[in-house]
Amino acid sequence: MENITKKIRAVAKQALIDKEVDKILGWKKGDLWSDSYPVFITKPEDTDTLIWDLFCINNLSKFLIKELTKHDKIGIFIKGCDSTSFNQLLKDNRINRDDVVLYGIPCEGMVDPEKVKKIMLNERVREIKKHENNFTLISKNKNIDVSGEEIKYDKCITCISPNPVVYDQLLSDEVENSKHSGDRFKRIEEIEAMSPDQRYNFWKGEFQRCIRCNACRDICPACSCVKCVFDNEDAEVSGKAKTEGEDTFFHLVRAYHVAGRCVDCGECARVCPAGIPLDLLNRKIIKDINEVYGEFNAGMDSTTPAPLVTFKLEDTDTFSKKGGK
Amino acid sequence: MSLDTNTNVVNKNEEFKPLIVAFCCNWCSYAGADLAGTSRLKYPANIKIIRVPCSCRVNINFVLRAFQNGADGVVIAGCHPGDCHYSTGNYHTRRRFSLITNLTEYIGVEKERFKVDWISAAEGNKFATVMNDILEDVYKLGPNKKLRDARWKI
Ligand code: SF4
Ligand code: SF4
Ligand code: SF4
Repeated sequence: MENITKKIRAVAKQALIDKEVDKILGWKKGDLWSDSYPVFITKPEDTDTLIWDLFCINNLSKFLIKELTKHDKIGIFIKGCDSTSFNQLLKDNRINRDDVVLYGIPCEGMVDPEKVKKIMLNERVREIKKHENNFTLISKNKNIDVSGEEIKYDKCITCISPNPVVYDQLLSDEVENSKHSGDRFKRIEEIEAMSPDQRYNFWKGEFQRCIRCNACRDICPACSCVKCVFDNEDAEVSGKAKTEGEDTFFHLVRAYHVAGRCVDCGECARVCPAGIPLDLLNRKIIKDINEVYGEFNAGMDSTTPAPLVTFKLEDTDTFSKKGGK
Repeated sequence: MSLDTNTNVVNKNEEFKPLIVAFCCNWCSYAGADLAGTSRLKYPANIKIIRVPCSCRVNINFVLRAFQNGADGVVIAGCHPGDCHYSTGNYHTRRRFSLITNLTEYIGVEKERFKVDWISAAEGNKFATVMNDILEDVYKLGPNKKLRDARWKI
């Protein structure tokens, strides 16, 4: 990781000196061991703050929409999931490929600080060391060895594209995809197996915690309409009442509006302050698309049309013969 | 009718009169409903028809709002695939509502409450059958309490 950090700094510095780009989007370290957050750099001398570590989880691609209105050419560091997001923005005509220089970083998965805190309970974590796919959590009093599966983000355990699918320059060797082998549809199948009332109560319990902060909308690379249906007062779909019906309405409409374009980056669920597993809604749609219309992973390229903007004459459906399942 | 949302029990003294909202495409299914009417076929009065230019004009918002505002069942009816008056509208309907059918079922709404079907202008009989069927299913299920807006009174 130190090597990649060095490369990131060198690449960014050179690009700014050569005026190849006028802004760099990357990550920098915050005050805590677990804080790595996005940073925008325009001066070559500031590039030494750039880093790459176990917490560079933020997807930087979506920032491009706004930043490209102010800058002509932007350099950006992208991991696998950021790269599929980037492709989605290209496909939705929100950005131009020519305005961006992509520095790809193959990704071995990011660490979820919440999972670490649960394992270390009241111990103050000082450092996390990585060896192969295992980690040592280090505090003042003890060291604990854990596996990657125990502390990585859920979305990283089931990641299907750890290597960037689009880039101009790759900063390290590709990682093996098999390291990320979890079954991404397991949880969905568990929910499908419940009775309708159980499912309803499960989702009701989740949805009712929603504070309608819109973080899930803001972070999502597929959620990029200039005018959002939820902001349209005339359409009477922007109800703000804190009732069960409105909560359900918001969540179904949000999930469905990105159907076929959701890249399964898991960012919506990660940023939700209420901990609502939004990925379980979106991934259900992905599963259904795969089953009914053939395997499709949004963001793998920037040209294949999304399943919901096209059709085949011989398509099947889920509502007639089998009656909805 | 009064609903007790905590116990999921309908007040037994009052008769349950289901409300079904049917979104019908102007060119086929709405004409199918007309035919059912002029042929004096029996279909229940509990069906409220909303005429839409094409079945693909209906989006998930319409369906959810109907459920929230008092519907116990929702039907979307369009021309048979191949017969759309805008050539391809119902092919899009087919894909969209395949996903939406599964999604509403996934969050726990009984799948019998929500139907998509193709009804041509010549199928007055089919119109009556589809409507009678959903009504029967909804009778069995009882009132929709899951998606109803608590503030809505009928
Ligand atoms: S989802 Fe994949 S690419 Fe994204 S941070 Fe996790 S492992 Fe890396
Ligand atoms: S981020 Fe979570 S709490 Fe905020 S609007 Fe989305 S689902 Fe609701
Ligand atoms: S819906 Fe969630 S998982 Fe899908 S693209 Fe948007 S942020 Fe990523």
